[in-house]
Amino acid sequence: MTTAPIEAPKTTAPVVASVRDLRVHFKTKAGIVQAVDGVDFDVRDGETLGLVGETGCGKSVTARSFLRLVPMPPGIAVSGSIMFRPRMRCSSCDGAGCSICGNTGRVVSICPACSGAGCDTCEQTGAETVDLLTVPERELRAIRGNRIAMIFQDPGKALNPALTIGKQVAEVFYAHRSDELLTSAGIDPASESLQNYVLRRRASQESRTPENLVLSLPPLRTRRNAISAAADAMVAAALNETQIPNPRAVMDRYPHELSGGMKQRVMIAQALACDPDLLIADEPTTALDVTVQARIIELINELQERHKTAVVYISHDLSLVRKVADRTAVMYAGRIVEVGESDQIFHDPEHPYTRGLIDAIPGASHERGRLAAIEGTVPELIDPEPSCRFSGRCAYAEQVCRSEDPQLEPIDHRQVACFIHHPPDHGVAPTFARTEQ
Amino acid sequence: MSATSASQPAVGAANESALRVRIRRMRELAANVLANPTTLAGLVVIVGMVGMALLAPWIVEPNSPNASQMPRDWGAIAVPPGSPGHLLGTTNTGGDVLYGVIWGARTSLRLSLIVVTITVAVGVAVGSLAGFRGGRVDEVLMRIVDVFLSIPELIFALAIAAVLGPSFRNIILALAIVFWVKYARIMRAQVMHVKQNEYVDAARVIGDSNWNIYRRDVLPNSITPVVVQATLDMGNIVLVGATLSFIGLAEAGLAEWGVLVSEGQSGISGGRWWASTFPGLMVFLWALAFNLLGDGIRDVLDPKTETR
Repeated sequence: MTTAPIEAPKTTAPVVASVRDLRVHFKTKAGIVQAVDGVDFDVRDGETLGLVGETGCGKSVTARSFLRLVPMPPGIAVSGSIMFRPRMRCSSCDGAGCSICGNTGRVVSICPACSGAGCDTCEQTGAETVDLLTVPERELRAIRGNRIAMIFQDPGKALNPALTIGKQVAEVFYAHRSDELLTSAGIDPASESLQNYVLRRRASQESRTPENLVLSLPPLRTRRNAISAAADAMVAAALNETQIPNPRAVMDRYPHELSGGMKQRVMIAQALACDPDLLIADEPTTALDVTVQARIIELINELQERHKTAVVYISHDLSLVRKVADRTAVMYAGRIVEVGESDQIFHDPEHPYTRGLIDAIPGASHERGRLAAIEGTVPELIDPEPSCRFSGRCAYAEQVCRSEDPQLEPIDHRQVACFIHHPPDHGVAPTFARTEQ
Repeated sequence: MSATSASQPAVGAANESALRVRIRRMRELAANVLANPTTLAGLVVIVGMVGMALLAPWIVEPNSPNASQMPRDWGAIAVPPGSPGHLLGTTNTGGDVLYGVIWGARTSLRLSLIVVTITVAVGVAVGSLAGFRGGRVDEVLMRIVDVFLSIPELIFALAIAAVLGPSFRNIILALAIVFWVKYARIMRAQVMHVKQNEYVDAARVIGDSNWNIYRRDVLPNSITPVVVQATLDMGNIVLVGATLSFIGLAEAGLAEWGVLVSEGQSGISGGRWWASTFPGLMVFLWALAFNLLGDGIRDVLDPKTETR
């Protein structure tokens, strides 16, 4: 790629996933908690979207909704939609990047219902669109780990202690790359013979005990081993990409024999193994030492550049999000209060909550002494009345803030949900001026 | 073995080293279990008993036509231990105590292995289904389990065996019917706990099927308490089985410890202690040894669990 064309600004890139009116409710003894309460945002191709907020504001639940991982119970209802537009390898450059695919190596896959003409299922975009909240389990499984991947907060908990690293990472290839496994094992994936049927089942981990017995007998044994060897080779390559030294040795290790940073590298290797369109990183460095954090973030960035993957980066660490995210969405009490370009949001926050958050970052320029904090606590989300969720802690709040829901509305290249910026039809509008006098 | 480098993916090499790692780990585990002297003592007794059971035909000549029946020597009734031809004496009906003790080990081994295999298989299957599926499936299965658990196990087994008629096969059946619920309970609790782990979510996220998640993530991480319980039950089942045959639910004259104790009990007041004492001692040793081993395994595999 010597003649890299001028890259389009990421904010105008096509949308990979759009979340609309996402609501997730949990049933607790005290009542129904509206953990996520009408969240809207888009994730654009190749960008990093930072999702920030305090503990319990619903950012992890939002992220988990992408892969339908919200546990039911205690979750009782997930509504709204998460429209996902899976992308395919660009046929003209075979993933290398060309002018047709905008140097991403991938193109939008055509809507099967209207062959690209634009219809209701694809919202007139002509691109294949899947609602992740309603897609059948079988199709969802084909998306999980393949088109959308996820990295968890604590790699120590996200790896099965009873399986070696090699076997765990191999799962993802068995689940999504069985044809490639067969091909590199010298077996024709299209062949219909009974032998190949069993081998094919093996390569997608669908073979059961009787089949496995047959596979362990001499005639098929060497081929079975060839499939395992092919998987091992793919695993080694994936681990190698995340700069794990001596991957073949690591593959025989169990998770408890690796350091936290290494474990997270393994998770990243597995997540990016199938070259997904969207990676959800749920506080991927929170459980790691500070010194390791920086290297993991670098690694994610580097791999994101290489794979052109969109990343939803969830964190409560604002200074981190400011560094890694192209755009940032600030969540508070189950809602998004402000979303826009990271630079803009961090330099010139418009929502009082965002302002409070940014002021609360302890910086080198601050004097020693008390740390800045937002007064008050996060409200309970059990059957809330219509109101700005932040009104109880907001220094500028007026009557209208306590009785009406502010909507997320655009102001100069971003969206803010606050009556200060788009005054209500009636009542006294809050202004920043009041306490700034 | 030389380290396999990433550049030469040999088919056998990677597998072989994984196998070596596994063997090393098993060896470490065994060493840990046996580091405890009481566990070691238990294991020694078990090895002796099982060896005796397996080698019974070579230690004492099998009775014909039916080797599991004690031979009757009507010419030597109730002779004391040390008599010629009857090392441990005979019963009131001329049954050879040594034969009963040694072939009784074979009967006990058969009983405990069959019952533990059936109960573990059924219990793990039912418990896993209930714990993994949850919801209504769980509700229905666990109510059935509750019904089984509400009846004291000995009385329940007794009732079933009595209804089915006196035979050793029915004792096996009765014990299998009674004991599986324990495993279902343990397994369900384990699965419900394990399936909340993040690695189960992580497996779901890469697109694994439910079956593969169960087989690779849930089952291996929840089986430990079942292994411990199964070891303990290898002892308990023989104890309960001996109780049932003592009461008379096995065929008369069967080479089984409970039957032998029962045959000898009438002689105790007359000073003929041997016919009951030796088989009784065997039952005691058998149960004790498996309990010691079970506790030892639990200490190593599952250090967090308190002794139940």
